Amino acid sequence: MSTVLANGLSVHVERLAPPEPASGAPSTAPTAVLIHGLALDTLASWYLTLAQPLAAAGLDVVMYDLRGHGHTERPAEGYALDDFVDDLAALLAALDITGPVVLLGNSFGGTIAFAYAARHPERVAAIVAVEAVPPIAVWRERMPRWLSNAVAYLPDDTLAGIDGRGGLGRRARSIREVITGTSLMRDVPASRISPDEHIAAIGCPVLCVYGGAATVGDLAPDVRRLLPQARIVIVPGQRHTVLVDEPDSVRDIVLPWLLQSGGLHRGHHQLACIDQ
Amino acid sequence: MPADQNAILAEIAEMLYAIRDHSGVEGEITMESTFQDDLGMESIDVVSLAGRLQARFGDTVNFAQFIAGLDVDAARHLRVGRLVEHIAASLDQADAGSGRVGSPA
Repeated sequence: MSTVLANGLSVHVERLAPPEPASGAPSTAPTAVLIHGLALDTLASWYLTLAQPLAAAGLDVVMYDLRGHGHTERPAEGYALDDFVDDLAALLAALDITGPVVLLGNSFGGTIAFAYAARHPERVAAIVAVEAVPPIAVWRERMPRWLSNAVAYLPDDTLAGIDGRGGLGRRARSIREVITGTSLMRDVPASRISPDEHIAAIGCPVLCVYGGAATVGDLAPDVRRLLPQARIVIVPGQRHTVLVDEPDSVRDIVLPWLLQSGGLHRGHHQLACIDQ
Repeated sequence: MPADQNAILAEIAEMLYAIRDHSGVEGEITMESTFQDDLGMESIDVVSLAGRLQARFGDTVNFAQFIAGLDVDAARHLRVGRLVEHIAASLDQADAGSGRVGSPA
């Protein structure tokens, strides 16, 4: 396990490198940063689904646990969206990643990707958002409900944390600690949103994937209004957990899009923002 | 010489005990132990195991690729034996490819 000091926190990072270039030439593989969601989620959701296919497609894949999650440090305070964006910026600096990156975010991780791109548009080559919307007014309106849904989604014994086998109970304890032991539940819904014009100024290609049975996709018209270049794909019948429930479907949407529209050209290992 | 599955199992068991910090793992880890039900492994623990396997076996055993062939549910219900068999097969293949002889332990 590798940890990196970023924004004052010890951050758990995992990387999967693309296959070595046959010529032995220095690798120019573009970097993809995979960002997971809140409370229930860790970098494992990406590691066990799209990380390997993305590396095999030629991307230098970086995953990290968000503050308070997985094996990253858990400060008691500082869980507004801007804190997560600051963490991402600091992590890229700590890893000496200076070129444009492809950001892939699941749920709140997608919102972090949009928020980062709104603040650093020149640093983002493409965005893939799974079950996520940008940090706009309607996102903040819905966030309290989504958070309480996430808590309600936990098994009954979760908040009690009673489980003799140590499995579910251990995960439950971890989730309970982040929910009750930090300011996350208070900070996230109070996050500063981005002015619409900052979201609209995100010029890079955007792919949004939504589960047809989830409610996040209800906001797709707002995404399209601000980001007319966005490609929006609905996976029928899928819930908010579409990434881990149907990784093959998500992969088959994301990889061809990255190759065709997302600026990743097979064999060239070069990225270009098609709208700039 | 084919890779020794018992030796691999012993090494994997040590890794699993370390990841789980010996808590929640009752009794011996065998080829039949399952990741979630018997070992209480969470998906983040599977990632930790991947790191340890990479450190021990290098690129000979492509655990990330092995795991990518499973879905998250399958990873949770993985039998330790299936992982041991995968490692043994990977080591045998590497030996055959390089002409080297030997077992990993």
